[in-house]
Amino acid sequence: MIDFHPLKLELVERIDWLIRLRWWAVAGTLVGILVARLVEPALPVLPLIIVTGFIGLYNVVFALYARQLWQRRGTGIRRRRSPQFAATQIVVDLVALTALLHFSGGIENPFAIFLVFHVIIAAILLSRRASVAVALLASVLYAGLVFLELTGWLPHVHLPLLADPARYTVVAYAASKVGATCLTLLLAAAMASSVSERLQQRTQDLLEANRVCEVNRTELAEVNERLRQVDAARTQFIVMVAHELRAPMGAIITALNLVLGGYAPPEKQRDVLERAQVRAYELLDLIRDLLELVRARRLEGPAQATPVAMDQVLDGVLGLMRVEAENKGLTLTTHIAPDLPPVRATPDQLKSIWTNLISNAIKYTPAGGQVTVTVARDGNEVIGSVEDTGIGISREDMPRLFEEFFRTEQAKAMVQRGTGVGLAIVKRTVESYGGRIWVESEAGQGSKFSFALPVADDTSTTQTEDR
Amino acid sequence: MATKGKVLIIDDDPDFCEFMRTGLESGGFEVLTAASGKQGLSLMRSAKPDLVFLDVVMAHPTEGVDVTATIKEDPELWDIPVVMLTSIMDTEYIGHFPTDRPLAVDQFLTKPVPMAEVLRIANETVGAKS
Repeated sequence: MIDFHPLKLELVERIDWLIRLRWWAVAGTLVGILVARLVEPALPVLPLIIVTGFIGLYNVVFALYARQLWQRRGTGIRRRRSPQFAATQIVVDLVALTALLHFSGGIENPFAIFLVFHVIIAAILLSRRASVAVALLASVLYAGLVFLELTGWLPHVHLPLLADPARYTVVAYAASKVGATCLTLLLAAAMASSVSERLQQRTQDLLEANRVCEVNRTELAEVNERLRQVDAARTQFIVMVAHELRAPMGAIITALNLVLGGYAPPEKQRDVLERAQVRAYELLDLIRDLLELVRARRLEGPAQATPVAMDQVLDGVLGLMRVEAENKGLTLTTHIAPDLPPVRATPDQLKSIWTNLISNAIKYTPAGGQVTVTVARDGNEVIGSVEDTGIGISREDMPRLFEEFFRTEQAKAMVQRGTGVGLAIVKRTVESYGGRIWVESEAGQGSKFSFALPVADDTSTTQTEDR
Repeated sequence: MATKGKVLIIDDDPDFCEFMRTGLESGGFEVLTAASGKQGLSLMRSAKPDLVFLDVVMAHPTEGVDVTATIKEDPELWDIPVVMLTSIMDTEYIGHFPTDRPLAVDQFLTKPVPMAEVLRIANETVGAKS
């Protein structure tokens, strides 16, 4: 039973290492056989060479299989099969080593201790359980070999030069040597796999730490990019504000220069100064709107919001607006649904939303037109809309409508004075309360601005953000 | 009364057009005004002004620049002197805003331009022509 290694990828790489190692083992064994043969003429060279050749042969097979796995990398097959593959190699190696031992003196061969290497390799490549299993298998093979040779089931090769052959016929000696070897194998499995597991754990921790660092780095990069964009937008905004402030100021200075420098004939002076005065008021409007905009920008909507009765706020606004509409010869109609639930907002802000939308409708609707104000509930929202029969908005201007300082050409032609900030303020305010704003319009036909604010439920007074 | 020459103001700010008209008329010039680049170009073709004051940023940020490009292409117009006006803070901005295209203009002034300066330019330019 092969456990899956936590660092499977590493195992996949180690397979090649195992196959390379085996080539060195084959070469080492061949040299060893020749040297041993010189020292110990009793050694049967042919079977040993055959076994070594067999090792070389199966290593070729393993190498081919490893290459095939490599070609299927990325499919997961390589990763899934690698542990079994490594285990198979180790088992085959154990059998081959046992065969080599058999033909080179069995219990008399001091190289039996090489069995330990297989156990250690299993501990490095596989799990603790696998390495103990390998140690057990090695013990069984070794003990079985000694037993079979001792009982004469298998022929035993004596190495008279290395040791006293008689010693190995003593069962107690053979048993103690086998016992010591098997114990060594098992202890090696336990120790090596313990070290190996700890290393694997450390590596795993490091990989995890690296991953966390990588995630943090990505998040920080994203935050950084967002901040950079905010900063760029702010700079752009300041440049725009400066430009917008400069235009009326430039006009005022030109007017004053004209009069003070004596370039305006007396009958024109009043007209020039009046125009300058209008521009000065425009400047004042702009500054007021900018402050309003800044307030809307940093408005902590839900935190300051309380349940507000939409119809009451609207009543207050309509009083003023009716006068304006009448002065301009417009009909102002209202459809306010009864039993409206309160919405979450601040009364002042809600008032400013209505004032902005209604006064826009009045401003951009020619005399004789209609302005209709509607408030109704729709599910969890209260929807307010202001519809007019005014100049409307062309399709191209729609996307920029809520941009700061944007005014359509038609709007400029109809009402010269205007900052282009009102709708931007309304949008920011509505959105800060978790609401939405949208517009339906056709150029020349009129516009309908609508906004939806969430209904205040009973718990909303506790200032919790529940939406 | 015979005028010193025809001056065209192309600017989408009606107050500015009016102020320039007042100042230049008091200086003895005939003044035409146009509120857009398109209108300005057609006036240039029909009225053949002796001098044009052209605003950079109108409905489009580069409208004035586009006008100069058209002037440069049109043999009928390219002899008419053009003075470009802008309310952009300083000419350093011109590198990237509203354009870094080469401008086919004779002078570049930042608003507000003192009327004395406007009249000096008008007198020099129109005087040199006639």
